[in-house]
Amino acid sequence: MAYIRKRNKRIFLIFLLPAMLVLFLTTIYPMLYAGYLSFRSYDLAKLFVPRVFVGWSNYGEILGSSEFLHALVTTFKLMAMTLSVQLVLGVGIALIVTQKLPGMPLARTLLMIPMMISPVIVGLVWLFLYFPELGYLNYFLSFLGFDSIPWITSTDWALWAIAIADIWQWTPFVMMGTAAALQSLSPEPYEAAMIDGNSRWDVFTRVTLPQLKPVLVSLMFLRAIDAFKIYDIIFVLTKGGPGDSTEVLSMFIYRQSFTFWRMGVGAAASFVSLVIIVVLITLFFKSLNRDQVS
Amino acid sequence: MSAITLKNVIKKYGAVQVVHGVDLDIDEGEFVVLLGPSGCGKTTTLRMVAGLEDVSGGELSIGGQVVNNVAPKDRGVAMVFQNYALYPHMTVKKNMEFALRPLKLDKAEVDKRINDTAAILGLGELLERRPVQLSGGQRQRVAMGRAMVRTPDVFLFDEPLSNLDAKLRTQVRWEIGKLHQRLGTTVLYVTHDQVEAMTLADKVVIMRDGYVEQVGTPEEVYTAPQSTFVATFIGSPSMNMIEAKVVAERLEANGFSMPLPDRFQGKVTEGQAVTIGVRPIEIKRVAASSTGAMQANVEVTEYLGNEALLDLRVGPHELVAEVPADQRVEPGKVIHIALNEGAIHLFDTVSGRTLSE
Amino acid sequence: MTRNLRQNILVYALLAVVLIVFMTPIYLIVSSSVKPSPIMFQKPPAFLFTPTFEHYHDLFAMRPFTKFIWNSLIVALGSTAFSLTIGSLAAYAISRIRHKRMNDVAFWILSMRMFPPIAVVVPYYIIFKSAGLLDTPLALIIVYSTANIPLTVWLMKGFFDEVPLALEEAAAVDGYGLLATFWYVTLPLAAPGLAVSAVFCFIFSWNEFLFALMLTGSEAQTATVAVMSFWSSDAVQWGRIMAGSFIILIPGVIFVLTCQRWLVRGLTMGSVK
Repeated sequence: MAYIRKRNKRIFLIFLLPAMLVLFLTTIYPMLYAGYLSFRSYDLAKLFVPRVFVGWSNYGEILGSSEFLHALVTTFKLMAMTLSVQLVLGVGIALIVTQKLPGMPLARTLLMIPMMISPVIVGLVWLFLYFPELGYLNYFLSFLGFDSIPWITSTDWALWAIAIADIWQWTPFVMMGTAAALQSLSPEPYEAAMIDGNSRWDVFTRVTLPQLKPVLVSLMFLRAIDAFKIYDIIFVLTKGGPGDSTEVLSMFIYRQSFTFWRMGVGAAASFVSLVIIVVLITLFFKSLNRDQVS
Repeated sequence: MSAITLKNVIKKYGAVQVVHGVDLDIDEGEFVVLLGPSGCGKTTTLRMVAGLEDVSGGELSIGGQVVNNVAPKDRGVAMVFQNYALYPHMTVKKNMEFALRPLKLDKAEVDKRINDTAAILGLGELLERRPVQLSGGQRQRVAMGRAMVRTPDVFLFDEPLSNLDAKLRTQVRWEIGKLHQRLGTTVLYVTHDQVEAMTLADKVVIMRDGYVEQVGTPEEVYTAPQSTFVATFIGSPSMNMIEAKVVAERLEANGFSMPLPDRFQGKVTEGQAVTIGVRPIEIKRVAASSTGAMQANVEVTEYLGNEALLDLRVGPHELVAEVPADQRVEPGKVIHIALNEGAIHLFDTVSGRTLSE
Repeated sequence: MTRNLRQNILVYALLAVVLIVFMTPIYLIVSSSVKPSPIMFQKPPAFLFTPTFEHYHDLFAMRPFTKFIWNSLIVALGSTAFSLTIGSLAAYAISRIRHKRMNDVAFWILSMRMFPPIAVVVPYYIIFKSAGLLDTPLALIIVYSTANIPLTVWLMKGFFDEVPLALEEAAAVDGYGLLATFWYVTLPLAAPGLAVSAVFCFIFSWNEFLFALMLTGSEAQTATVAVMSFWSSDAVQWGRIMAGSFIILIPGVIFVLTCQRWLVRGLTMGSVK
């Protein structure tokens, strides 16, 4: 089928080599290095303590510490909050903006802007909105009859404050992916359902959703992988606080490594997070492959 | 010296063999058509000649040189692809220039060749256009032009007319024939359309399942098919095939019997299972009383203008007869027919090979 | 199919709510960047006011913000050029080699983009420190390429897959080798892919914060880190933050407005087309 001679195969491998090499040096090597660090005592705050091999003690320390487990739980809590809202809102908005009405293409375009904004800027503008006493969000909400909410200063609300900023930035992603999938659906099943007289709800749940499922699964996996890495917005809004109410895994690693300078412990936590993300990625690829097969 | 020679050429993909030992000699200036149904290995064979597929076994020579391991660019061939493969980001002129660049000609020669070719193919007006701005027929001509400017030793065509509508196909077919007469270049041409093969070819190579079934002039493959496959593949409507047995110098089929024509004497043995082949045009309506007349029920009549096709049932056999339009009859009627004994073909049922030789 | 008016009004009403919610933060960035400080948090918000450019003036006059933007540009362009070169070559190989392990290679490359950056920040810090690369644009160029190369590979693989093989075969018969065919035929036809990949690489690098914060100091600091620093100063300088934010979000907005049709493909790395 293909025009491939043995000589060309060699050239192709040469094409592939630089990328593999660079990725190995810049990703695999640091990861291995993190693995190496995780078995050492590497405490920059205590300059004269020798950086010795300590076996599994860093792992023992984090896995036994309630702080680490709390960070893990918080990460998944935040993931659940953002993903569920993004899924429902994203699909809902996609259904609106794919209507064949004037202005919809422009609306779709405008709604994509948040995704392209630097997460730091997203954090900053939401900080502006949440700002105690001054921020506009509580002012807007007062029109809807809400009492003033202590967004980033209360342990009850801080995680939601972060979730909302993330939801604002990434709901468009789900919307966009869903809209693209909706627009590529064949109109025939809809015409058939219309002739058969099915209700709109029926059509949506029985015809549209099943066809969207593979795309939605992909989008949710991509969001989950990103949600696991969330960092910038939290850094700007709460730095993990108040208390430890928004300390997700990445904040935990950051604090261990750069606030307490316990690089070994930070590396051990990094490695645990790598293991979790590998599981997520593997599941994602499995689901992609299954789609390709079916 | 042959322009192209294939000696026991084989193509395998892993364990799957798709071309089984093809032997072929193509003379200088000859127009050879590889003909067969899809999946018969004809395109793979062409692509091996082009160098786009590696040869898994055997020997392939072009101009007397073995080219099994020669890159496509060094084979002195030019190819017209099924979907034309025009570079969409280049104008017609650029497409042709691009094909000439590796020859490292001087500017004047490049321009001369492009202009000459454009004149021959009527592309003058189109030189500055891009492929998307051309019609299917125009693209086809540009694809040929791009091959022609290189003045190759061999032209390779891969189903060049399959993307054209019926009317245009006839016209371009005619143009290709004329071009070959004018340029005299060796052509290897792949198609599944027997009309293209019959009208264009000096030599037709009929392939099936990776094997060459028959090589011959269009007339040979039509009048003297070597196998049941060739017999049914060439000619439209297809040749009728009747399974029979040789019994006492007669061909006996279920509900059907005829004397063994003299020319097959000694070529068959008593009791041999044979297949009688007869073209629809060789089935005549006859009077009920004439010798050898068989009774046939007319099941369907297809009127084609000058002639008509009658779908007949003779005992358990279904036959198609092509008769002058004024001799057609209503479906449901019973008529009498006879086979033109001088024109019947006889094949061994087991091997499928002809018994005429 | 007849749609009644009531239904359309409902659709537009919902759309209006959605647009207000999603556009307000962007409006706030733009308006606050030109709002005089005294009315920054005035309620009800002032929609009509005389715009002031004092924040932009402060941004450039009182701090070397030009330098930070310059750093951002160098890093973003450097990483984009590097990733595009290496990534598209690899993508071409992956697109053309027919081998059952090729899929695994492609997925391995993609997975490189998905790892949490925080997990490798510590090793990077230590490695760059010992190599004397801390606080240099080169460090960030290298780090960003780890995300940009996989992105380029996946995007370009999709575009290369769409270039008909017959065109390359035509070039091969016409007398071109693999490299010439790639350069004259395949690459020009995948040019839109190069553009899209370039823009995504650029925007990712331009927007990045974590590595820029960790691996740079005063010399190689990028614009995102600089804007954040207005927050940690003694008083929050909202005007300057918003002015800086506005400048940083310009490339992204231009991208959305000009080539939004490629966004889906880019953001999902080809898993949704």
